[in-house]
Formats: sequence, structure tokens, C-alpha cells
Amino acid sequence: MIDVENLTKRYGSITAISGISFTVARGEVVGFLGPNGAGKSTTMRILTGFFPASSGTARIDGHEVHQHPIEVKRRVGYMPERVPLYDEMTVLGFLRFVAQVKGVGGGGRKEAIERAMEHCGLTDMRRRQIGNLSKGYRQRVGLAQALLGAPPVLILDEPTAGLDPKQIVEIRELISALRGEHTVLISTHILPEVAMVCDRAIIIHQGKVVAEDRIDRLTGGGGAESLEKVFIEVIARGTETPV
Amino acid sequence: MRNTWAVFRREFAAYFQTPIGYVICAVFAAISGMAFTLSLLNYARISQAPGMHGYPTVPDFEESFLSPWLVFCGSLIMFLAPLVTMRLFAEERHRGTIELLLTLPLRDREIIFGKYLASLGMLAVMLLVVAIDLTIVGWLAPVEPAVLLFGTITVFLMGASFFSVGMFISSTMRNQVTSGTITFGIFLVLFVSGAISEDLPAQYPAPEAWPQALKMAAAIIYGIVRNLMQEMAIDAHAEQMAQGVLQIRDIAYYVLFCAFFVFLTFRSLESRHWRG
Repeated sequence: MIDVENLTKRYGSITAISGISFTVARGEVVGFLGPNGAGKSTTMRILTGFFPASSGTARIDGHEVHQHPIEVKRRVGYMPERVPLYDEMTVLGFLRFVAQVKGVGGGGRKEAIERAMEHCGLTDMRRRQIGNLSKGYRQRVGLAQALLGAPPVLILDEPTAGLDPKQIVEIRELISALRGEHTVLISTHILPEVAMVCDRAIIIHQGKVVAEDRIDRLTGGGGAESLEKVFIEVIARGTETPV
Repeated sequence: MRNTWAVFRREFAAYFQTPIGYVICAVFAAISGMAFTLSLLNYARISQAPGMHGYPTVPDFEESFLSPWLVFCGSLIMFLAPLVTMRLFAEERHRGTIELLLTLPLRDREIIFGKYLASLGMLAVMLLVVAIDLTIVGWLAPVEPAVLLFGTITVFLMGASFFSVGMFISSTMRNQVTSGTITFGIFLVLFVSGAISEDLPAQYPAPEAWPQALKMAAAIIYGIVRNLMQEMAIDAHAEQMAQGVLQIRDIAYYVLFCAFFVFLTFRSLESRHWRG
């Protein structure tokens, strides 16, 4: 579903990612890990067509992201990092706008919005202004807009960053519920989360993929704690021997 | 079309979900209303004793009161346009919502036209204020309908031109205040250079001692600069039209002016594809 080949992005003299390749199969939930500044957000922004790569190709459902931006954007629900939202709008007004733009049909639009709000626990907040919402609810609005239109691919950039433990559990359950229907790529640096919700993990460091495998194989069946060990290990290795 | 409409609705509503839309309309209503009252009183004083003010007879109502007031309203928009347009793109960049907007299935033209139409929607609301004043005039005195119609169109076209410049500047900026200030600076330069150009001599006063070739070159460059200064002032094409004299070149001037800056906005938004 997501095919990334040799993706490189340079900002002036800084290379954010260099030669990243990976694939995500249909219906998979994949964790995209790495320390701060590893290039997670950059990769996701290229995949969602926010900006183009310097070189390399990225395909979503067979469509090259730079050549067929509209086809790609129709298939991707994206929740950007830090969840930028239109603060002056109400939750309902904002979701209506997104639904309209995503072409959620006239008759089914209302239901689709209701479903997205219910899914994300926003039904009671529908009339509230987004600017007045707490961080947790903003995050949910970001997730709800990504889910609208039932896109086959979801790209979520740190969906649980800055939430309290209860909210993290809720969001995590929500993402787990998406399994099967959607292909999901989640970036995070909260490792237990990955061990719980993801089938597979891709670890990147300094703009390169340093490890990629199924969670159980990465950890050798050791669960969350050993994932932490693996993470620290591959990153340390990656730093010592630049490929 | 559907998406342009969605963007338009969101943008236009945003003006009135924050105080900015109300403040702009209130300021416009107050200042245009004051100018209306003052120039109407002035006209009344002149028409009571035209001789004392240097007029042989009572001056023409449309020509000496209504049209200048309409052009004034158009010029007033010059001061308010930066406030309307500075947020269009700069605010999206600043808040990060540009990332949302550019990753939704929207084409550049849907975003740009939606936003531009929303700013023109603000203009239409401002024109409602003008329409109220014009209704009062129509009730006080018989006015030529052509002046009313083309006068309103003049104000609209002037406003649309100001807004197109403002949108382009906003599309290149991240900070709203910078965007507004630069927009206003551009208007002021155009306005002042238009005023200066009226006092410039028609021919370049080249010193006799200059060689022929230099004189000719200077004359050509001078001619171009002078013409540009005259033409780029946005109010230059307004006066005749506001008097009900419709000329294709005046309308074409405004339409091309807007089209040019909308075109630049397209290029500016596209620059994300090649900028590092």
C-alpha cells in the first residue's frame, strides 16, 4: 500500500533523510520509530504530498505522490504533528469542512461526521470552539478529520504526544480498532505503544532506516522492555557505523 | 467547484468568527459615512451660493459630489485591504494549518480562488455600506442610474485590485503583520508615485549638451517610467468610470491587474515544489 524507494530530502545543506526505502502492506499497522530529528515527520510529509522529496519515489496504492497528488491525498488521512487546527471553528463546523473537501457524499456526510465524532469521543464537544479545547480533545479532532472519508491509508504523526496516560490509552485503543480496515503508519517515540498496537516497526536514525522487522522478531518475544533495548542498540550501532 | 465553495465558506466565515470582520466593516462604515456627510454638506453649501465658491452655476451633483465620494471609498479600501488579506495565507503558515490544507485533496486553484473569493465576499459586505449611503442619496435627489451602477462597480474593482496584491504578499509570508505592512507599503508607493507622475513634464527635459542617442534613450526610458507611474496607481482608472462613463480599457485594467496578482499567487504557492 505504501512503497517508499530511496527517498531523500535535503533542506539546503542539511540532509533530513537519505535513501529511505520501506513498504507497508495493505491492512498493516506499522510503527515508525526514531529519536527526535531522525526524519520521521519529513518522511510523512513527503508521503502526504505536503512537500516533494529531493529524490526517490514514494507510492501510495500505486500512485506516485508527487505526480498524482490529488489521487494520493484522496486515499490518505493525515494527522500532522502538533495537530494544527482552525481555532476559530467549532468541532462540527471544522469536520463539515473536511468532509466536504474530501468529497464525502451529500447524504452520507452527516452520518460520516457523526460516526467520526463518536469514534473519537467528540460527540459532546461538537459545538465547542476548537481553540477552547484541551490538548487531548484537539488530538481527537485531528484524528477525527484524518478518519473522515474512510481513507484506506492513515498516516499519524505522533498521535499520542503530550497526552495524559488515560488519553494515551484511549487513543491507542482507537488506533487498534482501525486495524484491518486501514493501513496505518504511526510515528512515535513511546515504545510500549508500538509493542501494543503495531504489527511491525521501522526504526530510522539520522535519516536512514536502521532496523525493520515484525515486533515479535525484533524483540525476540520479549515485549515492550526488550523493544526499548533493541531501539537503543540499533541507534547506537547506527551512530558508530554510518552506512 | 464544490471544493472552491468549501474553502470560500470556511474563509469567509472565519472573518466573522473573529472580531476582524466586524472591526473592518465598522471602520469602513464610520469613515465612509463621515466623508459622505461632510462632502454632502459641502455640496449643499456650494449649491446655495455657487458664485461665492467660484462656480458659475450650481455644480453637477454626480460630478462634484457623488463620483469623488465613490472614488474616496475605493481609496479607503486601500487602508483596510491589508487587514483583510494579510491573514489569507500567512495565518495558515503561522498556525501550521497550511499543512492540513495542502494535504487535503484540494487543488491549488481551489485554495486560491476560494480564498480570493472570500476576501471579495468581505468587499461585498463593505459595498453594502456604500449601498446604504447611495440609497439615501437616491431618496434625496434624482441620480443617474449609470453613476450608481458603475460607481459601485468602480469601488468593487478598486477593492478587488487591492485584495489581489494583498493575497499575493500574504502567500509569500509567514507573519501576518509583515504581510500587512508590506502590502500597505506597496499601495502607498503606487499611490504616491501616481500623484507625483501627474506633475512630471510630458517630455524628458534632457540637457542640450547630451548627444542625440543619449537623449533618445533617456526619452524612451523616461516615457516608460512615467507611464508606469501613472498607470500603476490603482485609482488612476477610477474617476471616469465613477462618473458613469464606462470604458473597456478601464475595466480591462482592473481585471488584468487582479489576474496578474492572482497568477503570482499561484506561482508563489507552487514554489513549495522546488524550494528547499
